[in-house]
Amino acid sequence: MTFLYGDNFKLLKKEDGMKRVYTVILSALVILTFSFDAVFAAGIKFPVPSYEGQELAKLRQWEKTWAGKKITKENIDQIKEFLHEGVYIAMTQPEKFGAETIWCEVVPYRQYPTSKGKIAATMKYAPTSKLEENGMIAGYGQVAGIPFPQPKTGLEMAWNFDGNTRGDASREKQWGNVIDCRSRNERETIQYRWELYWIGRYDVEPIPAFSKKKNPRGIARSFFQRHAAPADFVDTTMIEIKYINPKRLEDLWVYTAMFRRIRRYASTQRSDTIDGTDMIYDDHDGWYTSIIHNTYSAKGRADLLVARHQDRDKLERIKGQGFWSGVQRERVNHWVVEVKNKNKNYVYSKQIWYLDPETWQMNFKTMYNRQGEFWKMYEMFYSVYPSAGNQKTPSYNSEHIMDYIRSHGSDSKREMLELGAEIRTDLFQVKSLKQKSY
Amino acid sequence: MHKKRGLSFIAAVFFFLIPVLLMTTEQSHGAIYFFENKLRVKGSLYEFAMYQTKIKPEDKKFSDTRFGLMKAKATLELLYKAVENDTLEVNLFGFFRWWHDSVMDFDDQRHDSVSRRNRHFYQGPYYDQDDWINELYVDIYRGPWNIRLGKQIVFWSEVEMVRTIDRINPLDLRYTTPGIDPWDEMKIGLWMMRGFYNSDLPGQLVFEWIWIPGDFEGVRTPREGTPMGSGPAPPDPKDPNRPFGQGGAVNAMWRSSQPAFNMRNSSFAFRLRGNSEVELLGEFLNLDWTVSWYHGMNQTPVPNRENIGKPSFSNINTSTINGYLNNLAVSRLTSSPTPNHPRGAWEYKFFDAIGVSCQSFIPPIKGVLRGEISYEIGVPQITAFSDRIDPSPSFAKLMVGTTERDQVNIGITYDVPIMYDWLQGLWGSGGVVDTSIGFFLQERLGNVSRIRSTFAYQDRSQTNFTLMMRWHFWNNELTQVLRTLYNTANFGYVAMTVNWTPGYHMRYETGYMYFYAKDPWDFNQANAENKDFIYLKIGYEF
Repeated sequence: MTFLYGDNFKLLKKEDGMKRVYTVILSALVILTFSFDAVFAAGIKFPVPSYEGQELAKLRQWEKTWAGKKITKENIDQIKEFLHEGVYIAMTQPEKFGAETIWCEVVPYRQYPTSKGKIAATMKYAPTSKLEENGMIAGYGQVAGIPFPQPKTGLEMAWNFDGNTRGDASREKQWGNVIDCRSRNERETIQYRWELYWIGRYDVEPIPAFSKKKNPRGIARSFFQRHAAPADFVDTTMIEIKYINPKRLEDLWVYTAMFRRIRRYASTQRSDTIDGTDMIYDDHDGWYTSIIHNTYSAKGRADLLVARHQDRDKLERIKGQGFWSGVQRERVNHWVVEVKNKNKNYVYSKQIWYLDPETWQMNFKTMYNRQGEFWKMYEMFYSVYPSAGNQKTPSYNSEHIMDYIRSHGSDSKREMLELGAEIRTDLFQVKSLKQKSY
Repeated sequence: MHKKRGLSFIAAVFFFLIPVLLMTTEQSHGAIYFFENKLRVKGSLYEFAMYQTKIKPEDKKFSDTRFGLMKAKATLELLYKAVENDTLEVNLFGFFRWWHDSVMDFDDQRHDSVSRRNRHFYQGPYYDQDDWINELYVDIYRGPWNIRLGKQIVFWSEVEMVRTIDRINPLDLRYTTPGIDPWDEMKIGLWMMRGFYNSDLPGQLVFEWIWIPGDFEGVRTPREGTPMGSGPAPPDPKDPNRPFGQGGAVNAMWRSSQPAFNMRNSSFAFRLRGNSEVELLGEFLNLDWTVSWYHGMNQTPVPNRENIGKPSFSNINTSTINGYLNNLAVSRLTSSPTPNHPRGAWEYKFFDAIGVSCQSFIPPIKGVLRGEISYEIGVPQITAFSDRIDPSPSFAKLMVGTTERDQVNIGITYDVPIMYDWLQGLWGSGGVVDTSIGFFLQERLGNVSRIRSTFAYQDRSQTNFTLMMRWHFWNNELTQVLRTLYNTANFGYVAMTVNWTPGYHMRYETGYMYFYAKDPWDFNQANAENKDFIYLKIGYEF
């Protein structure tokens, strides 16, 4: 960048003529464009920062007052407009959530870095992205990147969420607690998790997907998870496979260490809670199963404080507290989508997804019970990690999910062991369950 | 004896002191790790109390209290990762256990109802000298190969509650029933060599083979005089509590006839495991299947033909089985000394079994279907006179000889999570009840008119239906499980358990087990008809 504005510019010779100047100006524009991490092509702009121009200036002005401030019950009303109701309730009624006080910190907004692969894949496939009649994205399994960088409908936003593969593969350690805020009883869980996207890949070869020879079963995404706590669940291991074909239900196998058996589980169990947490199987990573299981309607934008650059060590809580203190919140102008499952008897009457406009990650979602009451809130906190090819990619750092009706919470912290990892595909075979159980 | 007590004391200290020390240190709530995570330690401490709610009037003389069990038990699991690199992985795994049932220490009648020797075998891990080691093996991975050498427990079954192809390890049924105690503690470990070859062939084929070089254990059925066993019979008019009746005699003979650790007594097994996808009527089915073969000894023996003796109630020759059992009955009726039983009079015989299993999620029925079939070739049987000649109840019949019969075992379960709207959100329930319905059939082939017993006398087949339901409250802190079994010979059980997991380590479980039976003489298992109990387990897992 500096050579355009500094002395280096003088190195250009006048005799090179206007043609040379035009070439330099054109090149400079391209470089300038890349320097803002945004690419324009065929009406596509990607990535799209949460704030630009005047909006960014206004935000910086607001941050002059609030950045670095600790927010507690005492001063929360001054920033209430930038907090979701769920956060506001927890922070103003901490005793309901097992705490004497719940606090958070305001930090300045920072634009996320976007990997070269994600930009390239988006620019390659987004211009021709279209939806099929059944709601599927055309060519699903052979495309990658964010399909609709300038979305018009809720369904397009949901597909954007689906297109964010967070480095294509990851290996992480997750430790969490199931917390009854009233009795202060807690149960700890520790898991190691290997996750692989088989399609929609943009950072790690093969791009955009594993070949049919390598992926004869048509897997879209899979994870392998081994439990290290609680004591009676040590070595319990599971594999879940999500298929490209949306008609195929997910397959789940669990090796239960205490029974020493590999058991198939019914995919219809997806609306059951996971090991007593407040999360159901579908909630994993915000939404784990096929996008076309739901209907979506766009609800505009919401400028809210969320944790996108969380320092995990700053999170704190006392025993029985179901909602983290120490969350480092920055403002982001979310895309808001109302989500309803096509199954009328689904456990949630509706969900509201708050999607990050830069990565299309889900920063949080709220869930409503069948009576339409506000039931749960699932906040995911992120950090930026080094990933394959010297890139940087935002991914999960920690989270909490609260049941507002029962004053119950589940939280976890994650240690990213490797992002953009090269994971052997044969890990996701049934035979691995017993073999890798310790 | 004193030396053994000393060893028991050391074992008790070993099992109890280590966890106590670990509890006082800062630790993970899962397992505990040492030496840069190379050594993993986990285990448990439990107190298991069983209170009998239904004791027949004629059995009341065998106990002062209604306490059936007061069992303190400890388990310790050690995993040492000796080598871990890209080409080789070597793990050492050990699962050790110790227990002591103290009912016979404070209940004099119970104490006197069990012979001294059987009491010793029963109260702690002393039936065999290596009972305290449930598993101890080295586990080696290199490329697609995996070899496990040492004492191990093998689980081959897909279905629960009734075993069909899962036959490698015998069960210890002396204290309770499956479902109340965990399977890995009820199965008796065997010293074996087990190998796997994880192929890259289509279907994710895994080849598994087992060689058990002579380590044999029979099934351990409830001991006479203990809460789950029968009372000593026939009763001694002078001393009703005099231990060692017919049941004790049979157990003692079986134990003394148990084959030695000898290569000739080797058992072999082979299993092929695969995963196949099929498209059926527009639905994709992902099938997990196995094909297995087993060659080994039956876990219950039959008499040596030369030791059966004359099948007559007048035979009192104690060197024969019929004579000895007659003699024993007479000695109890006349209060004369207990005769010595004939040694090596029983024989554990080999048989073969071929098994097939399959499980898959079936989308149209929204559940998982599991099925197993086992064809057993030449299962040893005891013969008796036909009913016309000897109308005695099955277990009182005189033994005439031995024979073999083929048997077919079939087990099918359908597991489905059922969502109940009214349950969802109630006391923190997810609303889902995991439900499993089972059908189990055992069919004996050939003429059965002279078969003395294996299951029901002269019955060609037996059929069991099972139902298991599991649901949770308080975000899985509270788990309830209902298990029922109905055998068409009109016996079975209902068990209801409640498990509370309030925190990181403490575990509480209580339950009620109700048995019912038409006539215990019809069916061996129906002996449990008066064994109803409530129980409480308090445990610490680390």
